Amino acid sequence: MSGRNFVERDYFTDLSVLLNPYEYFEEIRAQGPVYQMQTHDALFVSGYDECIEVLRNNRDFSSAISTSGAAQPLPFEPEGEDISEQIEAHRAEMDPYGLVVTYDGELHSKVRSIVNRLFTPSRLKANKEFMLSYSEMLVKAAVAKGRCEMVNEIATPYVTMVIADLLGVPSEDRDKFREVIDSAPPPGDMESTQTEGPSPLEYMGMFFFGYLQARRENPGVDVLSELAEFTYPDGSLPDLIELVKLSTFMFGAGQDTSAKLLSNATRFITETPGLQDTLRADPGLIPDFLEEVLRLEGSTKATFRLAVRDTKIGGVSVPAGKRIVVGLAAANRDPRRWEHPNEFQLKRPRIREHLAFGRGSHTCAGAPLAKAEVAVILEHFLKQTAHIALNEDKHGTPGNRTLNYEPSYIIRGLANLHVDLVPA
Amino acid sequence: MPEVIVTKRDGEHSIIEFMEGATLMQAMSDGGVDELLAICGGVCSCATCHVHIDPASVSMLSPMSEDEQFLLEGSEHFNEYSRLSCQIRLTNEHHNLRVTVAEED
Repeated sequence: MSGRNFVERDYFTDLSVLLNPYEYFEEIRAQGPVYQMQTHDALFVSGYDECIEVLRNNRDFSSAISTSGAAQPLPFEPEGEDISEQIEAHRAEMDPYGLVVTYDGELHSKVRSIVNRLFTPSRLKANKEFMLSYSEMLVKAAVAKGRCEMVNEIATPYVTMVIADLLGVPSEDRDKFREVIDSAPPPGDMESTQTEGPSPLEYMGMFFFGYLQARRENPGVDVLSELAEFTYPDGSLPDLIELVKLSTFMFGAGQDTSAKLLSNATRFITETPGLQDTLRADPGLIPDFLEEVLRLEGSTKATFRLAVRDTKIGGVSVPAGKRIVVGLAAANRDPRRWEHPNEFQLKRPRIREHLAFGRGSHTCAGAPLAKAEVAVILEHFLKQTAHIALNEDKHGTPGNRTLNYEPSYIIRGLANLHVDLVPA
Repeated sequence: MPEVIVTKRDGEHSIIEFMEGATLMQAMSDGGVDELLAICGGVCSCATCHVHIDPASVSMLSPMSEDEQFLLEGSEHFNEYSRLSCQIRLTNEHHNLRVTVAEED
């Protein structure tokens, strides 16, 4: 499919794209790695090298629209070959919450330096005890029942409690957080669901403000105390609101995408012949397995950038003000980069170079946590079961499956995944 | 502007200007050293921003953390001059720091 007869489906609203984005990516790829969309005034970048080129070029590409997406019109008419001043003047309209993922330049570097120390190997090691004990309990209960719903019953509470433990959120508040997160629409919602009351970010922000303020007054030894006392490289103290936004964002972001990774990984385990036995026999393969799942079914399909000035991507001219869809999940199946890109292959060479977590200065800071926590709970599931299978009453038989995905143009995640568990 | 001197894997030297407060990894990435993968984005978890410090420049740096040491020891190309460039925050005192991009693992 290429050339003049190509009819483009709307990436942002078409539910057939939601169900199988990979087919859509191949239709787009056939038009070239950097493609001017018909449906929106945006470029879709599906090439691996080209995505990296954009993600590493902080000078020419702004992250100001990384949450609002490339479908929304800009709140201003771009003028001239450099729109950096216009972006600064309208930044708040493009991201009302002022999240770190939309920051650029020096401010981004400063705020990012706070996050950079939170998911180090020693920190994860300290958190691992909780991951092990909490996941063991969840899995035991599910196996005793003989089945579970992986997304809402297992993955969401698990990842919520793990990040809560890591950040030091008091246990009495954790369930309240989960409740508001569970009832909110996913990021990049295709259905533009209207909800009442404060958003999860606003709700949790009130709590984090209290925690951080208390710790600035009476510092302890937990992560929240470390955050409260953090100083920027220039010696200045971050604004408390900045820290609140950051903690809240980590809590919210740590939630959804990690939960989706566990369910996407579980689907692979149940649908790939022989895979679960291989992983049971050698749990040391789980990290490699997860990297390949991240490549093929990463939780984030796309991120967005805005061209700050006239520039190029892969030799294609890009005018200032052009919106860019950085197709992370498309790049992860680029045949110029990956041999047999649609095949699942354990131990693919240089697999860690996939773009599931992005690349460059905005690379997902929570990636090490996501990989560690999902590996821990998967190992429990494999150890405590002799077999895991998709529930046929809920999802149909092999070759005739029904799977529901969250209606999001950013997140690739199952809305639910019912599995049957045969005890070991 | 202060500068660092980077030797790439092909032996070519790059003189890279930096802003105080940036990490060496950021400066190298922004300066076009594309072979520095820095997959984790600077959160001290992957060791793909590994560099070797010129012996004459070693005294310019503060000691490494246990996390950095742990990650570097997992590299085939670890030696006494190894550092993760994401863990080196640059100040004007690092002007003329010389480093070489480590071989890929």
